[in-house]
Amino acid sequence: MAILKVENLYKVYEDGTQALKDVSFEVEEGEFLVVIGLSGSGKSTLLRCINRLVTPTSGHIWFNGVDITRIHGKRLRETRREIAMIFQQFNLVKRSKVITNVISGRLGYMNPLWSLTGYVPPKVREDAMQALRQVGMPEKYNNRADALSGGQQQRVGIARALMQNPKLILADEPVASLDPVLAHSILDYLEKLNKERGLTVICSLHYLDLVQRYATRVIGLRQGEVVYRGSREDIQRITDKEFRQIYGEEAQRLGGGGILGEVSTIEGATTHE
Amino acid sequence: MNELEQKSSSSNQQSSPTQVIIPPLAGGVLSIIPGLGQLVTRHIWRGILISFLIISIYGLSLWRLDETDVAFELFPPSIELTDLSRPQEEAVTYALLAMFFATIAYIWNIYDGYACARGKSSPPRLGIVFILLGTLTIGGHITEINLGKAIREIDDIGPRLSQILWPWNPDKILEYDLETTEGVAYFLASDSASVACAFGPVEQPTVEEGEPYLVIEPDCGQPSGQFTPSGMRAEGTKIKVQGFNFIPNEPAELVVKPESVPAFRPRVNAEVITAIPDENGNFELEFNMPNFTIPAEAVGPVQVEIIMRQSQKVGAPYLVEEFWLALEGIVVTLFLALMATAAGLVLAVPMSFLAARNLMSTNAITYSIYYVVRLVMNVVRSIEPIIWALIAIIWVGPGPFAGVIALTVHTIAALGKLYSESIENIDNGPIEAIQATGANRLQTIIYAVVPQVIPPFVSFTIYRWDINVRMSTIIGAVGGGGIGVVLIQWIRLADYDSVGIAVWMIAIVVTILDYASSRIREAYV
Ligand SMILES: Nc1ncnc2c1ncn2[C@@H]1O[C@H](COP(=O)(O)OP(=O)(O)O)[C@@H](O)[C@H]1O
Ligand SMILES: [Mg+2]
Repeated sequence: MAILKVENLYKVYEDGTQALKDVSFEVEEGEFLVVIGLSGSGKSTLLRCINRLVTPTSGHIWFNGVDITRIHGKRLRETRREIAMIFQQFNLVKRSKVITNVISGRLGYMNPLWSLTGYVPPKVREDAMQALRQVGMPEKYNNRADALSGGQQQRVGIARALMQNPKLILADEPVASLDPVLAHSILDYLEKLNKERGLTVICSLHYLDLVQRYATRVIGLRQGEVVYRGSREDIQRITDKEFRQIYGEEAQRLGGGGILGEVSTIEGATTHE
Repeated sequence: MNELEQKSSSSNQQSSPTQVIIPPLAGGVLSIIPGLGQLVTRHIWRGILISFLIISIYGLSLWRLDETDVAFELFPPSIELTDLSRPQEEAVTYALLAMFFATIAYIWNIYDGYACARGKSSPPRLGIVFILLGTLTIGGHITEINLGKAIREIDDIGPRLSQILWPWNPDKILEYDLETTEGVAYFLASDSASVACAFGPVEQPTVEEGEPYLVIEPDCGQPSGQFTPSGMRAEGTKIKVQGFNFIPNEPAELVVKPESVPAFRPRVNAEVITAIPDENGNFELEFNMPNFTIPAEAVGPVQVEIIMRQSQKVGAPYLVEEFWLALEGIVVTLFLALMATAAGLVLAVPMSFLAARNLMSTNAITYSIYYVVRLVMNVVRSIEPIIWALIAIIWVGPGPFAGVIALTVHTIAALGKLYSESIENIDNGPIEAIQATGANRLQTIIYAVVPQVIPPFVSFTIYRWDINVRMSTIIGAVGGGGIGVVLIQWIRLADYDSVGIAVWMIAIVVTILDYASSRIREAYV
């Protein structure tokens, strides 16, 4: 059964921007779906509709068989617990400790009154340490989040997502702020979760080689509309024409090293770690 | 047509028919009343300005002249001028000079009236220059600018300033209890020595064994300043006192205490008369009986106590009262600032949420609340704390409480604005991220909003305390309590040593606070 089904989704922002236009697709459990498209094509809007950071104008989103486009309050929060999100800008609370940031992924399961006293059950703390171990940085638990490098911050972001015990992970350009080698290491974590735990991943990406490397399926957005659907095999032999269809005429002007540049061949790429 | 354009373009413009209303000469004649010619020829602003400025300079000059004795100054008496007359001298110079400039401007104005009537108003350069010169000249006198005084009294700065800069001189800052040892002898005084001695000899005070005592010779006579038959003033009777049993080597001061007037210490060449006992505690001193008033109604001679007094510092030194007053003042000031900051903080936090645009722009009602709160805060903030202090003093009377009220009001507005701006500036990303985990509103605020606003709140609050300490010294000067109260009093009394103590305390506290606040801010931001 499809874990997620998006049906005729429209989003018009208050200022009149038409961000999504009749978007429909399905995601099977365990897929690694990559959303591609130019900046401004509606990728973020689509992902944020799925966890309702943005309320769609019309259409339906079925998550585990429930239409989540019109739910509120407790039901919305319970749905959100199962859908974790990873952000391009990491969105950690910079002045808080790493461990606190990871723990905040569990808030949906905790008694809100505990947050007033600052109490964290030992089990939650232990789980947070376990999540940090999974992303390979348990020793940093007591550092302030803003003392970490970009790649480390994104790994904390993944740890925070893991604390939700999610069924679905939304990753909105998770590696766009990182250098290429780090990009691979972050996506490797997501792929591992996808393969080993069967977690469904919806991820927006920019670089073609990353898309080819990680995606099990691809949809392409252009000006809010789905203009490309491809399987893993399709994306391996995507043609210039199809590519231009997704990215528009701008793609050519961006040249070789542009948005779909060959990441793995960039020389001298370094990591912060 | 625009008057300004007219002015600038009229010089190369031929007279246009609309401007020529009266014959040119009539324009000049009308301008005998300054500006009238210009007014009549429709150079409205030029006319108003010219008449207002020229008449003002004359008026002000006459007012200043009226305050001085012009006749006296214009025809000074042949005797040398005293220092007191100098400001008057300057007043006349200033006023006459200003009138001279105004007169040139006035002559120009007549020509300008003529020119305006011809439809070719003259360039105003000349008028502007002389009106400006006249205004500045009379202004110099009104504000009592007195370079002469500044130069003559420049020597006063040094010693007074050094008193303020270094008040910690042990002689000034420390005091001792004094223990006095006295020997007393009696003396009969009258206008004439022979009258006085007719009543003698005087019975001298009895002395206990070992106590200091005086032997006086003679024990009767006249104070100085009595008229002699030749019309000269005579010196007082020469007196010899011998002292016994005094503390060796410790100077003893002469004190004269006539029955008729309070005791005093006679001086010779501005120095009090002293004697230093030898190692046995004995001395011998000669002096002339000083002048003092013998009341006309006195019957017979006046008995005078001749006292030789030794004063000794006893016990440990202690700090002068002013030190404790200043310390008390600075403590009051610190707490005044602390209370105002704390009260301001408590009230500013809720205000700031109401004044944060990002939180209040959900609907029309919240937005209008935001607008009103922000407006009130801006108005309150633009009113100086010293005005709030005056209002608070009227309300609760002078004292630290008035100061607390004044600073609190200002602090609420100032902090409210800073807080609301820091709320507006928080990063929305973490808030969304926490929301996306399924956290509720309370959890989101505690985990995502509070950590972000605490550093700026702490930083602004400490910064504000810093400002409040400085401000409360000024508030004190108008009656708001704290160190400013004593400081302004000492400045008025020209007690520069005490001013120095207060200034030092303020400087020390402000420096420490400055340092501490920057350290705390570093730690929190
Ligand atoms: N909050 C918003 N209000 C108005 N317009 C928005 C908002 N967020 C995004 N948009 C507009 O919607 C369109 C899609 O944006 P987005 O979903 O961020 O695209 P992408 O993530 O692919 O760059 C863009 O034109 C963008 O300007
Ligand atoms: Mg985006």
